[in-house]
Amino acid sequence: MTVADFKQTLKDTLRQMSYRTSLDSLKKKGVSQVSILGLDRIIALVDAAVHKSLRSRLHGVEREAVAGATKDEFVRLLRSNEDLQRQKSEVEQQKERAEDEIDQLRRELGNQQRELEVKLEQSALSVANRYQGENAAIAAKVADVMKALASQKGEQGLSLSLAEEKVMELVMDVITGERKAADEARRALQDREVDLLQRRIGKLNETLGHTERRLQEVAAMKNLDGGISSIYREVQGLGGEDDFVAKKKELMAEIFKANLALQKKRTQ
Amino acid sequence: MTDSPKKDHGVLYIGMDLGTSRTSVSASNGVRETVYSVVGYPKDVVSKKLLKKDVLFGKEAQEKRLSLKMYKPLEKGVLKYTGDAKMDAEAKQNLKAAQDLIGEAIRLAKPRQDELVYCVIGAPAEASVKNREAIIEAARSHVDSVMLCSEPFSVAYGLDWLEDVLVIDIGAGTTDLCRMHGTMPEEQDQVMFDIAGDAVDVELARLIEQDCPGAQFTIQMIKDIKERYGYVGDPAERCIVELPVDGKPTPFDLTTQIKTACSVLIDPILKGIHQLVSSFDPEFQTKLKNRVLLAGGGSMVKGLDSAVEKAMRERLGGGKVIRIEEPVYGGANGALKIAHDMPAEFWEQLK
Repeated sequence: MTVADFKQTLKDTLRQMSYRTSLDSLKKKGVSQVSILGLDRIIALVDAAVHKSLRSRLHGVEREAVAGATKDEFVRLLRSNEDLQRQKSEVEQQKERAEDEIDQLRRELGNQQRELEVKLEQSALSVANRYQGENAAIAAKVADVMKALASQKGEQGLSLSLAEEKVMELVMDVITGERKAADEARRALQDREVDLLQRRIGKLNETLGHTERRLQEVAAMKNLDGGISSIYREVQGLGGEDDFVAKKKELMAEIFKANLALQKKRTQ
Repeated sequence: MTDSPKKDHGVLYIGMDLGTSRTSVSASNGVRETVYSVVGYPKDVVSKKLLKKDVLFGKEAQEKRLSLKMYKPLEKGVLKYTGDAKMDAEAKQNLKAAQDLIGEAIRLAKPRQDELVYCVIGAPAEASVKNREAIIEAARSHVDSVMLCSEPFSVAYGLDWLEDVLVIDIGAGTTDLCRMHGTMPEEQDQVMFDIAGDAVDVELARLIEQDCPGAQFTIQMIKDIKERYGYVGDPAERCIVELPVDGKPTPFDLTTQIKTACSVLIDPILKGIHQLVSSFDPEFQTKLKNRVLLAGGGSMVKGLDSAVEKAMRERLGGGKVIRIEEPVYGGANGALKIAHDMPAEFWEQLK
C-alpha cells in the first residue's frame, strides 16, 4: 500500500465513522462554538505521530517496513470493522423478517379461530333450528288434535276415548317416524357389520384353503424323515490319540480285506 | 437305500449283534434297541386284515403268534440258509425272514434318509461263506456300506482288550470262545459249541416235566423263568414259579431245577477254555487265564462268572473271569466302535 492509498483509506474511514449534525441541533444542546479539524490535518497528524514513534525506536529500512506493516494492519482492522457492521445489519434484517412472519402467522391463526367459532355457532343454530322446526311440527299436530277435539266438544261433548285415540295417533305418528329413522340407522350398522363379517369369512376361507393345500403337500411328501441325526457329520476313522492306534489300524485293514474278498466272491 | 435323495447330512454308524435269540443294535445317534430274533407273517388274509401288517417282529410277533406263521431265521448262531440252489420253500422263507429281521434292526436304529449309513454286523464266528453273503445281501438294501466281523472279536474290541484276552460269548444257539492276541483271530483261536441258552431251556423244560407233574408250559415261558431266576452256585432266593395245572395257576419251587439246568453251561465252557489256553504260547497262558471275558445274553445267569472261576481253579490251576457290564449290547457296542474306527476309504470301496 502506498502512502497516498493509506491517506485516502484513512480519509474514507473517518468519514464513515463520523456523523452529521446541524448547527441548530448543536445550539439546542448548548454548543455555541465548535473547533474544526480537517481530515487532511488528522491524517497528517496520525502519519506524523507514527513516524515520530518509529523514528525514536527504529532506523532506516527497518523503520519503513514496520511503518508499512502497521499501516496495513490499521487498514485491515478498519475493513474488519466494516464487515462486522455489515453482518450486524444482515442479522438485524433477518430478525425483522422473522418477526414479520410471526406476526403474519398470529394474524392467520386469529382468523381461523374466528372462522371456527362462526362455523360452530352456525352448526348450533342449525341444530336449534331443526329441533325448533320439529318441535313446531309436533306442536302444530297437537294443536290440530286439540282443535278437532274442541270442535267435537261443541257437537257431541268431549269423548275421553276419542281424545285418547287422537293423542295416540299423534304419538304413534311421531314414534313411527323415529322408529323408521332408527331402523334405517340400525340396518346401516348391520350392513356394515355383515360386510365386515363377510370380509373376515372370506379371509378365513382363504387361510383355510392355503392350510389345506399345505397339508396336502405335506401328506404327499414321501420323504418325511422320522430319523434321529447321528452325532457325526463326517466319516470318522481312528484318531491319532488312540492308545492302540497302530494295532487297531492293522485290525481294521484285516477286517476290510476279509470283507472285500467276501464281496468279490459274491459278485462273481 | 436306493431312493434316498442326497446323503449330505452326516454319517450314521450302526453296530449290530445278530443273534439266535436277540438282535441288538447300537447307533451313533444314541439309539440302542434289541428285538427277539423271531419274524411272523400273517397266516391268511383274515389275520393280515386284523393285524394290519405284512410282517411282525420280536415280542409283538410272539404275542400274536396264533395268527402268524413264525420263523426263527437263525439257529445255533447261523442263518437257516445253506446257499443250495435247490433249497426248498421253507429255506427260502427263512432267508426272507432273516432279511426282514436285519431290515427291522436297522429301522430300529432310526437312520435319517439324508445320512450315510455304515453298518458293522457281528456275525457268528463259525458262519459259513454262504451265510455271510446272505447277511450282507440282506443288509445292503438298507445301508450304504456294510461289513461283517467276528462276534467275540467285536466284544473284545469294544472294551479295548485286544491282547491276551479270552472272550466267551454265550448266546442262545451257541457259545463262542475266542482268544485275542493283537491280531485278527484265526480258526485255531476260536472254539464254538451249541450248548448255550437254548440248551439250558431244553434242560429246564425236561426237569420241570420230570419233577412237576401236570405243569403246563411253553418254551417261551421257560425262557422267561430262566431270565428271571437263572443262577448257578448258591441261591440268593427260592425260585417259586406259578405254572398252570389243569388251568389253575399252581406254585412250584424250581430252585434246584434252575440251578441244574444253568449248570450245563459250565463244563463245555471249561473244556473250551482249556483247549484255547493249552494251545497258546506258554509264556502268555497265565495272562490269558487271568483275562477271561464273559459276554452275551447267557452271561446274565447269576453266579456264572464265579462258577467258571471256581472250575478254572480246580482244573486249570486258577484264572480270573470278568463279566462285561452290558451283556445284551456288548457285541453291538463293539461293532459300533469298529464302524467308527474304520477309515473312510474302506467304507467307500465296499459301497
